Amino acid sequence: MAWNEIVCAVLLVVGVLISLTGSLGLLRFPDFYSRLHTAGKTDSLAQLCIFVGLALIDQVTVDGVAYPVDPLIRIKLIMVALLLFFTAPTATHAITKAAMLDGVMPWKKGEPPK
Amino acid sequence: MSEVLMIDSVLLLLVAATAIAVVEVRSLYAAAMLSGIYSLLMALVWVNMHSMDVAFTEAAVGGGISTILLIGTLVHTEREEKKRKTRVNWGALLVTAMTGAALIYGTLDMPRFGDPNAPIHNLRVPEMVNQTVGMTAGAKGKQPPPVGWTPRQNLELPLGHKQAYAMQRAHATNEARLKEAGEGHGGHGGQKADGHGAEHEAGHDDAHAHPAGDFNGHVPNTVTSLLAAYRGYDTMFETAVIFTAGASLILLLRRRRRPGENLPKQQSANLTDQVILRVMCKLFIPFILIFGLYVISHGEIGPGGGFQGGVILATAFILYGLIFGRPELHRVLPERLTDILAVLGVLLYSGVGVFTMLRGGKFLDYAFLNPASPGDGEPLGMTLVEWGVGITVCTVMITIFNQLAEEESK
Repeated sequence: MAWNEIVCAVLLVVGVLISLTGSLGLLRFPDFYSRLHTAGKTDSLAQLCIFVGLALIDQVTVDGVAYPVDPLIRIKLIMVALLLFFTAPTATHAITKAAMLDGVMPWKKGEPPK
Repeated sequence: MSEVLMIDSVLLLLVAATAIAVVEVRSLYAAAMLSGIYSLLMALVWVNMHSMDVAFTEAAVGGGISTILLIGTLVHTEREEKKRKTRVNWGALLVTAMTGAALIYGTLDMPRFGDPNAPIHNLRVPEMVNQTVGMTAGAKGKQPPPVGWTPRQNLELPLGHKQAYAMQRAHATNEARLKEAGEGHGGHGGQKADGHGAEHEAGHDDAHAHPAGDFNGHVPNTVTSLLAAYRGYDTMFETAVIFTAGASLILLLRRRRRPGENLPKQQSANLTDQVILRVMCKLFIPFILIFGLYVISHGEIGPGGGFQGGVILATAFILYGLIFGRPELHRVLPERLTDILAVLGVLLYSGVGVFTMLRGGKFLDYAFLNPASPGDGEPLGMTLVEWGVGITVCTVMITIFNQLAEEESK
């Protein structure tokens, strides 16, 4: 196994685990803001891990035939990752601000979950 | 079960779940968001089937702008669906069930999913995929074939002869065209009775109106070739429909301002104060604009086209209007300008058609755009037509946004 495949596998596992915790938190956390916090992790960190991991792959095997990966595809993957890395936190921020302006109050310890 | 099929099944299950959720959910905002998710999932299904143009349109139009416009509409209506007494209407259920059954029955005649022997893979697509834009093999630039040259008869023409043949056809005089069409129609009538195979065989015949090498195809993107040439009228009227939607919205919703009355200074949301949003918006709008322009002008070569590019361009302006306020958007792009541009887009499309008619061809016969090199006509005409579509779609979307926001500010 080449080094890039190992790194790719590790990054993919990390990304999937972060996505999983994000989804769990989205279901389990008590109020709007904390749920958005976990969703934000999925949007920024998990996608970055997955995209960078995929960009490291240098050949794809389909039906037993190995095809080399076009370098342009890797550049595109990195560009998509960068784009999401900027836009996803901005979107989370905008949603949080909108909720704040709309008067959604954060949950405090001891209150029942909303 | 292949990977493609597995991914497809999961995606289609999710699509079905989303569709049920859209119907069932009470909150209209949630329904609007879910319909966006539905479009995004469908876009993934299209990507999985390698139909990039359709996926692109679905993602840009369905997942992007229609969700924005739906939410903009919801601002004027209510957040929740009204509770209604539900009672099963048996007649309606019967009609729906029968329509569904008829559709499913129709799909039984289709080739198996991914069947390599399906007609679409064997009939004309291989030729179209092998084309290069407007080039004659072995000749510098675009040239008509030598005098006395005749095209070969079989379907497995080497590349290049086909192009030369298409150019020769474009050079043919009007009389020859008329004659050819007359004979072709006669041939059609005779062969249709024999069914598909006979009609395909007739495709080899040179006197036939639709010879085998002719799919109006000089353009590598077969989807654009289909949309802008094979069904060019259809696409033109689609553009006209979008223009009509924008025009009727203006008639219904636009308030006539008294002279001297301006737009209200501050819009409802306090989004204009947000530093982070302003900075990110300024950072990304140039990229969105360039991407939109690229998608429009690249439509005849790769995935993309007027509809997708126009929507992407409109998104940039709508984002600007949302973050910096509508007066600022109005300063950058006055309503008068968007109105005029919406008309100009449709005029550009139909103008290309009229121009080719003036040159002696049929409506939207791109080969007549430039008689010196008919092979160039197709890419040139499609680029012009895509720009017409793009301009109209972009300005109509901005107009719809403007009208919805204006109502809100009253």
